[in-house]
Amino acid sequence: MQRGNIFDYKNYRYFKIAVVVILIAFAAYLIFEPAVGHYGGSVLGYGLGTVSALMVLWMAWYGVRKRRYRSSGSTQSWLSAHIYLGTAMTVLVTLHSGFHYGFNIHTLAYGLLLVVVASGFFGNYTYMIYPRQMSENMGEDSLDSLLLRIAEADKLARQIALVMPDAINNTVSRACRETSIGLGLIDQLRGYQPNCPSAQAVDDLTAMANSLTPDQRKLHRELYTIMVRRLSLVKRARQDLMYRARLGIWLYLHVPFTIALLVAMTAHIIAVFVYW
Amino acid sequence: MFNCLLIKITYNSRGLPVRSYRTIAAHELTLGRGAECNVHLPDPRLSMHHAVIKQNDEGLFVVQALNGELEIDGAIVPGSVLTHGSKVMVGPYELKVEPAPPDVNLAISLVLAHRLPDDFQDLKARTHQPLTGASSFKRRLSLLLAVLIALIALALPLAQNLIPSVHKAVAELPIGFDRVWSPGRISASHMHFGSQCFNCHQVPLQKVSDKACMTCHQDIGPHIANPVLQKSAFNAKHRYIGTTRCAECHEEHKAPHPLAKQDNGMCIKCHGNIKAINTKSTLANVHDFDRDHPEFKLTFKTGPKSTDIERILQSDKARLVEKSGLKFPHYQHTGKVQGPNGIWDVRELSCTNCHAPEGKEMRFKPLTFKNNCVSCHAKELELGPKELKITVPHGNEQNVFNALKLYAPKQFSSYSDSLKKNGCAYCHEIIENESAAQPWRVAPLYINQDWFSMAQFNHGAHRTQQCVSCHKVEESESSADVAIPDRQSCLQCHSGSKPKHKRIASNCMTCHNFHHSHFAEGLNPTAKLDNNDVEVLLSIANKQNQ
Repeated sequence: MQRGNIFDYKNYRYFKIAVVVILIAFAAYLIFEPAVGHYGGSVLGYGLGTVSALMVLWMAWYGVRKRRYRSSGSTQSWLSAHIYLGTAMTVLVTLHSGFHYGFNIHTLAYGLLLVVVASGFFGNYTYMIYPRQMSENMGEDSLDSLLLRIAEADKLARQIALVMPDAINNTVSRACRETSIGLGLIDQLRGYQPNCPSAQAVDDLTAMANSLTPDQRKLHRELYTIMVRRLSLVKRARQDLMYRARLGIWLYLHVPFTIALLVAMTAHIIAVFVYW
Repeated sequence: MFNCLLIKITYNSRGLPVRSYRTIAAHELTLGRGAECNVHLPDPRLSMHHAVIKQNDEGLFVVQALNGELEIDGAIVPGSVLTHGSKVMVGPYELKVEPAPPDVNLAISLVLAHRLPDDFQDLKARTHQPLTGASSFKRRLSLLLAVLIALIALALPLAQNLIPSVHKAVAELPIGFDRVWSPGRISASHMHFGSQCFNCHQVPLQKVSDKACMTCHQDIGPHIANPVLQKSAFNAKHRYIGTTRCAECHEEHKAPHPLAKQDNGMCIKCHGNIKAINTKSTLANVHDFDRDHPEFKLTFKTGPKSTDIERILQSDKARLVEKSGLKFPHYQHTGKVQGPNGIWDVRELSCTNCHAPEGKEMRFKPLTFKNNCVSCHAKELELGPKELKITVPHGNEQNVFNALKLYAPKQFSSYSDSLKKNGCAYCHEIIENESAAQPWRVAPLYINQDWFSMAQFNHGAHRTQQCVSCHKVEESESSADVAIPDRQSCLQCHSGSKPKHKRIASNCMTCHNFHHSHFAEGLNPTAKLDNNDVEVLLSIANKQNQ
């Protein structure tokens, strides 16, 4: 039997728990309304706050837990719980806030939590979508084999260009020399590079086709085929890098903001009890 | 035409230089990747016709760039004279002038100085790994955020609380470091000092004490006006401390909600089971106005002093008689009534002709003879025939007797009798008094101003209603009748805190005030915080601090 993924783990066990937790919280929120409206310091507010704080600590512990090989429970089970209960916790914290926001540590902690959760959702999304698209993009190839094929195309193209006019030779050799893959973080995330020399070369070759002798025209056609194929290889390599960058980028926010959230939550709790 | 010795230097597999010689006779030497060039250099970095070597007018050999570029010592030049030993970079090739053998005019060597890099390795070098430096970025961002938040939201506010010198310095500033801890907006009336948290949060880890409130609110009344009862009922050392904290009902940082709690919760804590607080209490348990609020008790004046009052249940109809000392049938004073000036003098009277509202809450001005009665009842004070008419003053009966003695000493007893039976007695109760100088006197007036002395009724809030919809006075023939509406009549419009359909939600605070002694007229006006109390309060608070 094929093992389920993290979402339908054990027949949606944690999804069901999360739904129950959210329903209980909503019911309590509707039933126990203080006279001055909902706020974190009411009996329900303290209850929701305590449960949420414990859940935040438990969520953060997942980060420690998954780096340990010998621990209780399977990592898959932990991750499933991390995702579903983390979502439920966000609802609890929102109810705990009573929808009061201001320019203070309490709202800062809430904002940090939302950043953590939002980045987590994005990470989830990437892991749901991209691995499949990655294998569709790469097929049997690896990034290195793609690069090897690009390098072979380079060699061929350069040989042909050697006997072509300067303009063609220049654009081809510039394409070979200057094409880079995944130049900066933004380009990696976009999976697209503006002013790419390879794409430029293909465009230039199209434009230059008219001013050639019949002999050169045949070579040009060959060169053009090589360059177009080469461009598609370059694009695939960039696409691969894009997927890998997007699969990793959410952790840029998820982890540091979790640390920040833990500090802010501590400050929030201390503040509340220093100034009762 | 000149002869040129071309020395091409290549490197074999062991890395040793291999020289190949060729002599070319030509008018000019072209260098380039084109096949038609004299010196064919198949490298993509060269132009088709890159450069040319020729003799100038003076017979010197020069190299000139055609479509390519020439470099001497890293500088791009258009051309250069070739002398012995000069070095020119032609694309990736280094051109060097060698010593010329006797039968040639020029000897040059060409060596590929910059090899074409390996395509794959080169491309790999230009392929960047995704998210390089991720872990160091994450570590630095974590540290930055953690330190920033810990400093602003934790270290500075705590330092302000724990280090006296910091506290002192920050107290001078418009807002403190602990401003970031504020959970919500402060109510408008506290805003002028609320930017410094320590004004109310005086001791860390302790809830806001009443002492902080009492700094300003020194005149606030206790819950029970009677200080002895207040002390015994709450089993308190002091009549304020030990009852309940101000902040339990007055929740700050919840603006725009009212600063005082409006729900029944706090009231029911005690009044839901009042015997648990004070076993001697005669009060009934209350949870909700609609559900189990007891019958109203009306406050009757029984004597001249402000404490001479009696509270009577509205259901106790036999005792529900007002002994005001007046004879006033309301039914004769509503609608069309006969005026004093003959049969054609018909006047229309409504409630407000006499009962004039006063102030925002629409309390009523006390009625006076001069303002309200005399316009119709002036004749009751007139005595004797038309030509010898005497008008006695209204007010103290001694003045009446004095006036009679002065203006009509002979008719004193007959006029006095007439007043006793008709004039004064027309409106007032008369008490017999067997002394000669003052044979009778007018009964003292005990007119109620405040029937619901334990609650506050706001006529202003009910101004959309007709007076008679609550006060059934049209049929009242006697001034002893009490026309104060009972609980059932309130319930026609009002309901409990959870309102019924088309009823107004009403909770305890709608009618009652916790600090009741402000309003309990004549109950105990001294029940206010005096200087003694403040000192006691401060000493208690200080003890807690130590």
